[in-house]
Amino acid sequence: MRRMSHAAAIGLAAAAVVVLLAGPRPQGAAPRFFHDDPLTREPDTQDASKVQPWDIDLALDLATNLFSRPGDTTAGVRARNVNTIDEVPDSSWFTNRILARPLSIEEVVRGPLGSDGPAPDGWTVTRAKEAGASPGFTMKDGAGETWFVSFDPRGFPEAVTGGVVVANKIFWALGYYQVENHLITVRPDRLAIADTARFRPPSGVRRRLRRGDLDDVFRRSQRNADGSYRAVAGRAIPGKVLGGFRYFGTRPDDPNDVVPHEHRRELRALKVFGAWTNLVDMKAGNTLDTLVQVDGRGIVRHYLQDVGSTFGSSAIGARDPDEGYDYLYQRGPLLKRALLLGFPLPVWATVPYPDEELIGRFEGKVFDPLRWKPRAPTAAFLRARPDDHFWAARRVAAFSDEMIYAITRTGEFSDPLAAATLAKVLVERRDKIARAYLPAVNPIVDVALSTDGALTFANAAVDAKVAAAPPSYAIEWARFDNATGESAPIGQRTLVTTPRASAPAGLPAEPGAWVRVQIAAVDGPPAWRRPVSAYLRRTPAGWALVGLERQP
Amino acid sequence: MGSSLVPRWMSRAASCLAAAVLSAASPVWAQSSRTEAIAAEQADKAKDLQPRVPPGAERAVKWVKDELIDEPSGLYPYFGSVYAGGGFTVGAGYRRYYGDNTHWDAKVLQSIKNYRLIELSTDSWNHAGGRLDLHARAGWRDAPDVPFYGLGIDSPATMAGFGVTQVYAGGEVAWRPLANVHLQGGVMHEDYSTAPPSGARLPVQSIFDAFTAPGLGLEPAYWHSTASVGYDWRPAAGYARRGGLYEIRYHRYAGGVDDFDRVEGEVVQHVPLVRENWVLSLRGRTDAILTDQALVPYYLLPALGGGSTLRGYSSWRFRDRNAALTTAELRWIPNRNMLDVALFYDTGMVAPEFGDLALNRFKSDAGIGVRFHGPRSTPLRIEVAKSREGLHVIFAGSAAF
Repeated sequence: MRRMSHAAAIGLAAAAVVVLLAGPRPQGAAPRFFHDDPLTREPDTQDASKVQPWDIDLALDLATNLFSRPGDTTAGVRARNVNTIDEVPDSSWFTNRILARPLSIEEVVRGPLGSDGPAPDGWTVTRAKEAGASPGFTMKDGAGETWFVSFDPRGFPEAVTGGVVVANKIFWALGYYQVENHLITVRPDRLAIADTARFRPPSGVRRRLRRGDLDDVFRRSQRNADGSYRAVAGRAIPGKVLGGFRYFGTRPDDPNDVVPHEHRRELRALKVFGAWTNLVDMKAGNTLDTLVQVDGRGIVRHYLQDVGSTFGSSAIGARDPDEGYDYLYQRGPLLKRALLLGFPLPVWATVPYPDEELIGRFEGKVFDPLRWKPRAPTAAFLRARPDDHFWAARRVAAFSDEMIYAITRTGEFSDPLAAATLAKVLVERRDKIARAYLPAVNPIVDVALSTDGALTFANAAVDAKVAAAPPSYAIEWARFDNATGESAPIGQRTLVTTPRASAPAGLPAEPGAWVRVQIAAVDGPPAWRRPVSAYLRRTPAGWALVGLERQP
Repeated sequence: MGSSLVPRWMSRAASCLAAAVLSAASPVWAQSSRTEAIAAEQADKAKDLQPRVPPGAERAVKWVKDELIDEPSGLYPYFGSVYAGGGFTVGAGYRRYYGDNTHWDAKVLQSIKNYRLIELSTDSWNHAGGRLDLHARAGWRDAPDVPFYGLGIDSPATMAGFGVTQVYAGGEVAWRPLANVHLQGGVMHEDYSTAPPSGARLPVQSIFDAFTAPGLGLEPAYWHSTASVGYDWRPAAGYARRGGLYEIRYHRYAGGVDDFDRVEGEVVQHVPLVRENWVLSLRGRTDAILTDQALVPYYLLPALGGGSTLRGYSSWRFRDRNAALTTAELRWIPNRNMLDVALFYDTGMVAPEFGDLALNRFKSDAGIGVRFHGPRSTPLRIEVAKSREGLHVIFAGSAAF
């Protein structure tokens, strides 16, 4: 191919610069808001059927997160998948549930369950479990459904299986794609082994699964007094399994995956949800992508597949006391403590945990959401901004006490006190999260303007009772030009002491008109003095909120 | 290179800008809806889809892990010890499974001091419900420059040396009848031969005689039987911050110059402090020849000194028919998953009679060390220990105890 001469290139570039700089926007420029804003669903427009399974190596994934800074390291980048009202649309990653709509306790307790669990008879083991630390296997029930079964480790009853089921409900309510998990009771003598079931012994040479191999699984599992075993059965996820996703970058063979994962708000928000539930193991291996058919197109759906690393237990026993407090490797604190004979004493060394073995090391008294850490730095967490934390904290705060207590009871702990203790800790941690994150930005939400000019809004921090109402709110009105992005003030700045105000005279009323309302607290916390900008469009039905800018 | 009035950097910048403008197939202002804008971005990506290709370094690490570490059969790197005092050692092995839990294994080790080991073994474990392990091995071990300082705790620091070669073959059974309880029994044929040292040390026979170096010049072969019983509730022998080991090990050497018995006792206790932020680790060990009159070759006598006993002294510094050792370590844990630091104090003694072991004659050292560890092993231990005989730096591939 003939190369462009220097002069031609400069000339072309100069022309491009002129085009870009000539005016506020070129003719036909994009408006600030499109007619379909705010999006309620992030579209997957391309067929992803050619996406190939991949295997993200556990050790390499951990090393990448511990010793490098993957993904876009630019600080302060706004989440790129939020819509114009600063919310996360439904997508192949996320479904708005709690806070976005009324969610009954019954609905949350049912969570992702679409069935009553494995059919009661005809359980046939089809494969040994080769990944993860907890003992288990894969089986088919009498109806032909495939289930992944895992047990509590020997000597540590109920904590793992109970934790999985409880966390499963919480993360479903928060909006993530979840596996359908059921608590079941397994009786070894009622299990059959499929002729095709395979097992990989230490030799690495696969062979047919034998009864002795299952005996070994049960030897490592917690046995009930009657000889049965309590287990979690996770229903096979529909679609073609593609492997996990990382918390940075995009999948190069998925055409619809265009937002770097570190800039997806629902992944950044896991920093807050993880702190709440102590979900410390944020490895790619605990996630799962599957290829499913939607409207005749192949779409990649993204699951938080394993949320079992939550609360106070790991897959093989009580969580290490430093989990949630320290990364597996942190050079600075490591050198400091190496040189100072183990001082200063880390926080985790003296944390008082509830005297309840069934929930492991999980507490809410000393917990500090701002200092919580997963096992390894997670790119999406490192890019999270206060507005992402705020978005997440609102969802955490939306779980009522009653709802939390009901969810923890689904863990079916033999000691009712265990569920109550777990719930109590979750409530304590929820409240701390609300106190930490809701007041950290201007917490104005639910801005609405009625046709008769009554402006109403809410203060999420005040409503959650984690901050006092400011003495007053300053409100500024402007006519907004969606084509040019320019605005012209309407009336004077007004002060109100309650979250409602009347529109000034001169508010446009014609269909298609736009107004911008800026709301800031007066004499409130510093972050509240930065106004939230709400953009409203006049429609035949009234004023519609189309834009909301909390943190540009 | 063609001449141009335009600087190269400007030319390149201009080309890039031009290319960027021209390649923007779907500028946002070309869209009439948010959905279209996103669709355009996705369509743009769809033009250049490709499977993820890991970078070269990642591929290399993965190859090492898959082929040399995770793959049960085949070649693998091997880091071990040929003989105490051999220095930095590297090696390789080749393993081949012939059962679910059974393999044969050939390995070769070579140390920086030219200590060498060739061993062929077969191991089969987890029989009888995971309680029984079987092992057999045969090999050749050559330590060509081993120091010998004479017998007793007051032996001078002036050393002689010798080379020792051991050809061995035998088997062992390990049984775990109860959780944490282990029993072991084995028998091995061991054929020893000695030689002048390969290094600058004087040969043993030039300084010592058959009285001060028992068995000097003899090259016996023994049937070495062992039996041990122990209670081990440490999470792992290779690395632990809690739990303990209480073990007694009996040896019977028969068929050599004289038959003799030897018994070793060891108690290890790790006391975690403040959720294992610190760990007080204690060890007591005795090693005694039980057969009073039997001639025991100097190179088979109990010994102290080196990286796992008296760390401030050279390997094999003290030898005699009885030995006692106590060690205390205060460890702190800057990182729970990979690094320990420890202050330690070792004190021990050798003596011709067990009753001669007197605390006031114990030799002592103290030091500091760092240990790079995993959950169950200590791949690297670096320590500096100070004794009356100077500073010693220790590099080891195992836990101190």
